[in-house]
Amino acid sequence: MRESIIMKIHYGTALGAVALVAIHILMRMSQKYSDSLQYQNVIANYHLLPYALMLEVILVLLSVHGFNGLRVILLELKQGVAYERAINYGSIAAMAALVAYGSRTILMAGMGVS
Amino acid sequence: MAEQFSNREGIKGMINPTRYGLERVAYWMQRLSGLGLLAYLIGHIYETSTILNGKAAWNNMLSLTQTPGGHLVLVIVIGMCVFHTGNGIRLMISEGGKGIGRPGQPEYPYRASSLNYKQRLCIWVSIALAALAMMYGAGVLLGD
Repeated sequence: MRESIIMKIHYGTALGAVALVAIHILMRMSQKYSDSLQYQNVIANYHLLPYALMLEVILVLLSVHGFNGLRVILLELKQGVAYERAINYGSIAAMAALVAYGSRTILMAGMGVS
Repeated sequence: MAEQFSNREGIKGMINPTRYGLERVAYWMQRLSGLGLLAYLIGHIYETSTILNGKAAWNNMLSLTQTPGGHLVLVIVIGMCVFHTGNGIRLMISEGGKGIGRPGQPEYPYRASSLNYKQRLCIWVSIALAALAMMYGAGVLLGD
């Protein structure tokens, strides 16, 4: 994929994440902060389908943005065919692993498997 | 050949935050805040996954994170998040060609038109917003 397209994805994921993370934080502020972290409240958040879907979207957006940012930093430091390939594939693998791990929490908590 | 490269600093020159003024400082802050936020994201995903192990495990995790030290980390995360967002929007707009001045003949003292007061103002505004958000966050978290 061309770097110009990757950077457009980078900026798009950033803007999307800013909007959704703001909603995520506002949900914590809708009640007293320590109360919002109580077990029942957090589980109730996962059971609310639109909110769980939003968490999943935030997870994907931030993973793509975060690991692409790390990839850019690492490619700025050093260049080379083998190195760049390792960084590119390593970033994709790390991104996929984080999305899979986070999705597991959202799915299992949402379905009441705990 | 060695003489030819003797003045080249390589990565050391690139990472020197005191050179090229505020723009280079912003460059480093953008990268450091990005790395910090990625580390927080990974930690946050691990932290929330403990809810699958039941109420006791969740409360045990809260007893580790909901402490003055944990709240201090969150305040720093808020600051990094706001600065990264503000400076990131500046970079997006600059990459679109806005606010970087017009290209012209290089004339002494060779000031780059892209490193202008608009860019510096945006960096300072990002820093100020981050400081305000940190103060607000500290008020909510530490005053809770």
